[in-house]
Amino acid sequence: MKGPLDRTKVVLRHLPPSITRETLLDQIDTVFRGRYNWVAFRPGKTSQKHQIHARAYINFNSPEDVIGFAEFFDGHIFVNEKGAQYKINVEYAPSQQVPKQWSKKDGR
Amino acid sequence: PERSARVTKVRPPLYQYIRKLLFSDLDKSSIEHVLRQLRKLPWNECEAYLLKCFMKVHKGKYGQIHLIASLTAGLSRYHDEFSVAVVDEVLEEIRLGLEMNDYGMQQRRVAHMRFLGELYNYKHVDSSVIFDTLYLILVFGHDISEQDALDPPEDCFRIRMVITLLQTCGHYFDRGSSKRKLNRFLIHFQRYILSKGALPLDIEFDLQDLFAELRPNMARYSSIEEANAALTELEEHEHTASFEKANSASHLDAEKRPSKQADSNASLTAN
Repeated sequence: MKGPLDRTKVVLRHLPPSITRETLLDQIDTVFRGRYNWVAFRPGKTSQKHQIHARAYINFNSPEDVIGFAEFFDGHIFVNEKGAQYKINVEYAPSQQVPKQWSKKDGR
Repeated sequence: PERSARVTKVRPPLYQYIRKLLFSDLDKSSIEHVLRQLRKLPWNECEAYLLKCFMKVHKGKYGQIHLIASLTAGLSRYHDEFSVAVVDEVLEEIRLGLEMNDYGMQQRRVAHMRFLGELYNYKHVDSSVIFDTLYLILVFGHDISEQDALDPPEDCFRIRMVITLLQTCGHYFDRGSSKRKLNRFLIHFQRYILSKGALPLDIEFDLQDLFAELRPNMARYSSIEEANAALTELEEHEHTASFEKANSASHLDAEKRPSKQADSNASLTAN
């Protein structure tokens, strides 16, 4: 089990519903390129009734990178193409599981 | 008056097939077949849709949620990314439910608690995730101005959520560190319950059943002060215990893990 001080997986919540994986990663890579080893992006949904924020899970190489990242991105404001502002938050992911890198090819 | 015909949603055949597998074919006897069919799917095309369907546990039968958990664990061998995503999604759903506290979502929120518990039973999440979730439920949104909307004083739904999770996997917390963690949590839980005042009878009876099953000898406190005193005592006790433990270096603290997986899941992944 990972203790509180060696957690490396974070979740970015309240991302703009329309943001794409590429746009997000471009932003992150300006400062944090090479300091993470896994990203899972969950697109949001833009609709009148039910807006769903996009989310992303990122696993950093070290717990220190997480601190640096949170200082940079927690509370960071993203503006979408219509000018709406989204204040995102960065938290430790409640589950610290990350897929094994060697995931077996299914012979089925 | 003229009325346009109701438009039924037409799903691509692949999606229809996934839905058929998960929502009508899946039962205890067909689970191996379903798992094999899922493995044969074109994963690049349908992984996101499959994740969406796995989150619809509330649409199926309550008693079958463990089958979805079993499938998740069974798929982890070949699609680890997917089964990690299932856990992240369930936890997000639980969090979102707490943030919205929407009455209409209660049924699915209960189903997600059950799902999380079953994921623990199939060894797909560890106990720290369960306890973090339990504590999150007790404290989320407290001490902020929206507290009355997020957890109204007369609203007992969070108690229902805790009961559901512990009914599902609480019996595995019966030894080692997870036993102590549950003991501690149940006192915090009691304090939370007491803060609600008089409980509806259905909740009260379910609580009695839960305590009788998990900790038949544990005292039920009658005031918040008593619960607080019990917590203080527990902390002092644990402080001395950890001191003694540090002095005897050979302390083994095996945590009992569910054995349910051994019979049902081993046969699944072996195919």
